[in-house]
Amino acid sequence: MRPRVIEVAGVSKTFTIPSSRRETVREHALDFFRPRPQERLRVLESVSFELRQGESLGLMGRNGCGKSTLLKIVSGIYPVDSGRVDVHAAVTPILELGVGWNPDLDAIDNIELLGTVMGMTLKQLRAATDEILEFAELEKFAHLELRHYSSGMAARLAYAVAFRAVREVLILDEVFAVGDAGFKERCQQRYRDLHRAGHSMLLVSHEPRTIATFCDRALLLEGGHILLAGAAEMVASRYLELLTEEAAISARPHAR
Amino acid sequence: MVSVAITRVRQGHAPFAGLVWTLIRTDFKTRYHGTIGGFVWALLKPLTMFLVLLAVFSYVFATDPQYKFDLIIGLFLYEFFQESTKAGLLSIRAKGYLLTKARFPSWIVVVTSASNAVITLIFFSLVLLMFLGGSGRAPSITSIALYSAYQVLFFAIVTGFSLAASVLFMRYRDLNQVWEVVTHAGFFVAPIIYPIGILPERMHAYLYAWPPTPIILFSRSVLLDGHVPSLIAHLLLLIETALVLGVGALIYRLRAPRVAEEL
Repeated sequence: MRPRVIEVAGVSKTFTIPSSRRETVREHALDFFRPRPQERLRVLESVSFELRQGESLGLMGRNGCGKSTLLKIVSGIYPVDSGRVDVHAAVTPILELGVGWNPDLDAIDNIELLGTVMGMTLKQLRAATDEILEFAELEKFAHLELRHYSSGMAARLAYAVAFRAVREVLILDEVFAVGDAGFKERCQQRYRDLHRAGHSMLLVSHEPRTIATFCDRALLLEGGHILLAGAAEMVASRYLELLTEEAAISARPHAR
Repeated sequence: MVSVAITRVRQGHAPFAGLVWTLIRTDFKTRYHGTIGGFVWALLKPLTMFLVLLAVFSYVFATDPQYKFDLIIGLFLYEFFQESTKAGLLSIRAKGYLLTKARFPSWIVVVTSASNAVITLIFFSLVLLMFLGGSGRAPSITSIALYSAYQVLFFAIVTGFSLAASVLFMRYRDLNQVWEVVTHAGFFVAPIIYPIGILPERMHAYLYAWPPTPIILFSRSVLLDGHVPSLIAHLLLLIETALVLGVGALIYRLRAPRVAEEL
């Protein structure tokens, strides 16, 4: 059996709802003798799974079910409240890439900024800059400040950098929802190439066909729990049923 | 019962040197619009200020030729303190878009945030040394070495304040306004516009507890008087620096793991 690269055991995560949070020195000082109840939201509850070397694992679930939080925990961006995450290989997260650039810098400087954050050396980045720009189809706009980019162009650039910075494990959030058909096809081809080369993948998508096509196994997350784990096609079908049931319930007239 | 832990393998030699250089370079480029002209223009501000103060106080306090240098050194060092701690306080919020994308130590963005202020300080120091040399008051090599060492300690102090303030700012969103008031008040605590001798000696210990004070006084002492402060004074400065850096690092260490959630 292939070795485990990620082991997640009994992970739980709770957030304080921002509206009930004291956020300023003034609020803390004024409310010192008047404790305000903190509203907490449990996003993940005892989630356990493992990812093995060379495996492609899909993660599905409705909005707010905890997928993005789980990816950030596995990527080491968020700490856990309880449970354990063991990561035995180098991870490249590809998360929230459509947003957050330095708008005052051009594409080349932003490539260096994002690439070094993702673990590439400057030498590697300089050698790969042309390839990154070509992948994103942005060669003509290499010296244009990011403030002038459309959201689609910025997202393409981000995915091009991230797909070049890959290490042993890739964690991808809705990666095939960006760009036009040509860009999507290039992303999908790169994904296949990396998978074939033995990289492990953890892929989040709302699209059942994407999970069924690109993943070996999948998890269905619902209300912070793993509702179902198994073959990717089975999980994708169950997710579709879940959406159909939800649509039927919301379409039903309310009894008085 | 499950343990609370995230364990990771070493992910190779992280290219932090490349990240540090890129953050410094891009901050510089953003501030100076990526042009040498922009950089020169930005340096003209402290240079003009230097010349104006020199001209005005050569005339106003003509009877005390040292006062203008005391004032200029105090003003510029305090300006460095204000500018770099403000940048440090805002650093994690400003670079939040990087911290939510990948895992890397956020202290790197805090420490590199002072780079522009450091560049200005180096430029000011060179201008000051050249001016002192040109006016026949060239400091000795020992004085220049000590002055440089004080600036390294000042950077450590600024780092301590910045580490604490950057993570606390994520929890206290008006901390920047509070810090602005503190540094404005601190301007009058540090003996910048007045000589420390006009205050009773029993108050000096309180003034020295405000970290810019010993740095400013020691810098003036070695550059202008050629007088090296005592060993005890240096030890106290080292303890104060270690304390600020240590407490700052401790606060950072306690709060940093959760900053990505607060962005």
